[in-house]
Amino acid sequence: MGCGCSDCEKMMQPYLDGVLSDEQIREAKEHLARCPGCEKRYRFEESLRRFVRVAVDEPMTPELKARLAGLRTSAR
Amino acid sequence: MSESAPTAAETRRIAEEARDRVRFEEEALELSDQVYRVARRLVTTREEAEDLVQDTYARAFRSWQQYQPGTNLRAWLLRILTNLNIDRGRRAQRAPEQQPLEEGDYYLYNRLESTIQDDNPDEERVLERLSQNAVVEALAEVPHDFRDVLVLVDIGEFSYAEAAQILDIPVGTVMSRLHRGRRILKRELAEKAVTG
Repeated sequence: MGCGCSDCEKMMQPYLDGVLSDEQIREAKEHLARCPGCEKRYRFEESLRRFVRVAVDEPMTPELKARLAGLRTSAR
Repeated sequence: MSESAPTAAETRRIAEEARDRVRFEEEALELSDQVYRVARRLVTTREEAEDLVQDTYARAFRSWQQYQPGTNLRAWLLRILTNLNIDRGRRAQRAPEQQPLEEGDYYLYNRLESTIQDDNPDEERVLERLSQNAVVEALAEVPHDFRDVLVLVDIGEFSYAEAAQILDIPVGTVMSRLHRGRRILKRELAEKAVTG
């Protein structure tokens, strides 16, 4: 359980969001290069974000789309 | 021609306005799939999402002149939608849960990995422990204040600044709610994956 890298755990979200400073990114990369456990957890997080986006996607029905088009004032 | 006939300038102005209006409505309708995708996860049922999107478009088409051309139309539509959602009785929570969250960002991974026999599974195998249903249910369990931000940023792919503008909260609040919201989502997912 866990790799004990609590700093790296706290950096994960901002790192993946691309909001760290260059210095912080360098530090995170150095750690990840040395620590396969953290590296794997970062990759998992990226895959998880994609999976969540796809899993909750439910396209709207053609009926709703038609109703929205019918709301156009310029079409009347 | 009688004297009351519109001047050429007036006729041109009316024609331009009509053209702008058609263009606005077309652009707004092109975004409807994206607007619906976000709406669907801000509320609980499909019916609620459909009503909300329909009311949003009715409002947008009425108030189209308040939209400033060149600004982000998708964010403008979502701003209307989130306001309507609050008007419908979904009051902003006064004090979003503030207790420290024990589960950190590695919690879900660690829980899922512990259910796999293999000592060192790759991350795709760990992810396979989660079902689509578990994700839908877990997201619905995240409290509204956190879920709004999570849905806008991680599902709607809005930037922090856009989410802040839509929800009328500071960017720093967007970031803190997003980080906490993701951790709550992962805690819920861990429960569903391990017990369900």
